Formats: sequence, C-alpha cells, structure tokens
Amino acid sequence: MKEPRKYTHDQDETGLTKPEFDKTELNEPELDERFAGQAKELFDDSVERLDAATLSRLNKGRHQALVELQKTGLAGQWALWMPATGIAAAALVAVVILQGPGIEGPSLPAESVTDFEILLGEDSLEMLEELEFYSWIDPQDFETDNNVG
Amino acid sequence: MNACAGVYAVSCSREQPTGTKTLQRERQLNQFLAEVERRALRFAEIAVRDRDEALDLVQDAMIKLARKYVDKPTHEWAPLFYRILQNGVRDWHRRQLVRNRVMVWFGGVAGGDDDYDVVAQAPDPAGRTPERDLQSHEAMRGLEAAMHKLPPRQREAFMLRTFEGLDVAGTATAMGCSQGSVKTHYFRAIHSLREQLGEHWQ
Repeated sequence: MKEPRKYTHDQDETGLTKPEFDKTELNEPELDERFAGQAKELFDDSVERLDAATLSRLNKGRHQALVELQKTGLAGQWALWMPATGIAAAALVAVVILQGPGIEGPSLPAESVTDFEILLGEDSLEMLEELEFYSWIDPQDFETDNNVG
Repeated sequence: MNACAGVYAVSCSREQPTGTKTLQRERQLNQFLAEVERRALRFAEIAVRDRDEALDLVQDAMIKLARKYVDKPTHEWAPLFYRILQNGVRDWHRRQLVRNRVMVWFGGVAGGDDDYDVVAQAPDPAGRTPERDLQSHEAMRGLEAAMHKLPPRQREAFMLRTFEGLDVAGTATAMGCSQGSVKTHYFRAIHSLREQLGEHWQ
C-alpha cells in the first residue's frame, strides 16, 4: 500500500497556500505529480479570474451553439420522417395508378368494347366511310333504349 | 472534468434524437458547454496568445460539436470537443504562418510574441488580494512562456492531461494519436517544463 506523502500546508504573507515538500522523500513520478498539481492550480486560478465581459461573450457563443443544435434537431427530425413519407407517397401513387379512374384517360362505357370489335372487324372500313351516319344514329339508339326502359 | 475519465473510444453509433430526447440533449449540451467553456477559452488563449481569437475558436468548436457530434454519448463529448478545438488551433497557426510569410514578403511587420501584452490581457480581479493576483499571474505567465518553448504536440498533451484532467485514452482521442504517443509527449513535456521552471518552482 502506498504510503501517504509527507507534506504540510503553509500560508505565506500574501495568503497563498503553498504545499511544503521534503524533496528528498519524493521520487521522480511524485515530483512530476507535484509539478502537475501546481500547474493545474495556476491554470484554475487563471480561469477563475476571467472577467465579466469575457464570460458574457462565452455565454453568447454557447447560446449560438444551442441555436445550431435546434436547427440540426429540426432538420434531423425532418430527415427521420423523410423515408416514411417517401414510402407513403410512393404507395399512394401506385394505388392511384392501379385503381384510379382518371389516369388512363377518359372512361369508356362497357359498350365501347363492343364498338371497338365492330370497328376492328372486316366491315370497319365501310363503317368509317359512314361514320357521320353512325354518329347520328347512336344518340337515337340511346333515346330509344331509355324510352323502352 | 475529471468525471470525464473513462473509456473514450468514439463509438460509431448515433442515438436518434426524437421529441423529448432532443430537448434533453439540448439541456445536456448546455450543461456540458457551461462547464467546459471557461477552461477551453484559457486553453485556446494559451495556445494562440490572443483572447479574441481564442473566443472565436471556442465558439466554433461549440457550434461544430452541436452540429456534428451531439448524438454521440455524452462521455465522449469532452475529448471530441477538445479535438475540434485543437484542430481549430492548428488551423489558426497555419493561417498565421502563411499571413506572416506574406507580411514579411511585402515588408510588413509580422505580429510576433512581443505583440502579446500579458498585462493588457489580464482579466479583472474578482475579490482577491492584488498581491496574490500578481503572484499567481506572474507564475502563470512563466508557465505559459515555458509551455511555448515545447513542441506543439508535447504542449497539447501536457495541457489536456494536466489542465483538462483527461486521462490517457481521452487525451489520445483529443489529439488523434495513440495512447503510447500521449504518454511519451506528456513525459517529455513535464520533464522539460520542470527543467525550465525548476528554479522557481522547487
């Protein structure tokens, strides 16, 4: 077990406490430790003597850093939601494409399929020649169907 | 600062800040910076010998810590902060070197050590006797002068270990070198300082 160092504390005329060592009893590591302790004491003392204006500037600097943190925090939160938002948007677009009525152009009534079959049939060219007639007769059929119903 | 002693291996993990956690981080960061800012200022001031420049360097280090490393575990903040500050100090010295060369080229007078008036930079005394202030100030002035004769890496190791109370691992993280290098730099620094100041300090 390490033996405690033998030294006493004494105050000089200025009131500064100085450790009094018996140097002959100290080995090199202990002398290093003592030196480091004295240096730290001086450094701490210089820190304590910082003036109010400097402390105020430090305070401002710290608050500036916290403002930056808030900015980063907001950006970070937004970044956190970005993947989820992207996935949701992609899913929505997919649903609209697959099921939405307005994407494939104007909707066609079921009868149109039959009309296409007729148009693509052998008589299609003749029908195209008489397109004006068919366009006149179609509303007529519609009205007739409604009257029947 | 001694409470920061421990394992300083910088983790790769980042904690995700969400809601109240962000507020908690903000509070923790505020507390950390409030604890470290004065010492960091003196640390930088000793390195660059200019209080205004030191204030700028400390503020930059604070902002960089807040922007980039706040998600790291809090026990890693101290070595990371001092690493940022060290890098800032090194960059500052590089800029000064370039500026001084340019000034010499154009025949101007480069600002050297003689421009630094320690008495003018002395802070206001706060409730202490003038004799004690003077004695402490003179002793610190001697220590700073001796530290400036050290190679930069030795000075960094000495300041981080002695003034900031970082352990070997934390100092290695802050300096960006191995723990073995820290031990070597520190050993050489303290023996060189003891040789320089021995007459006054023994």
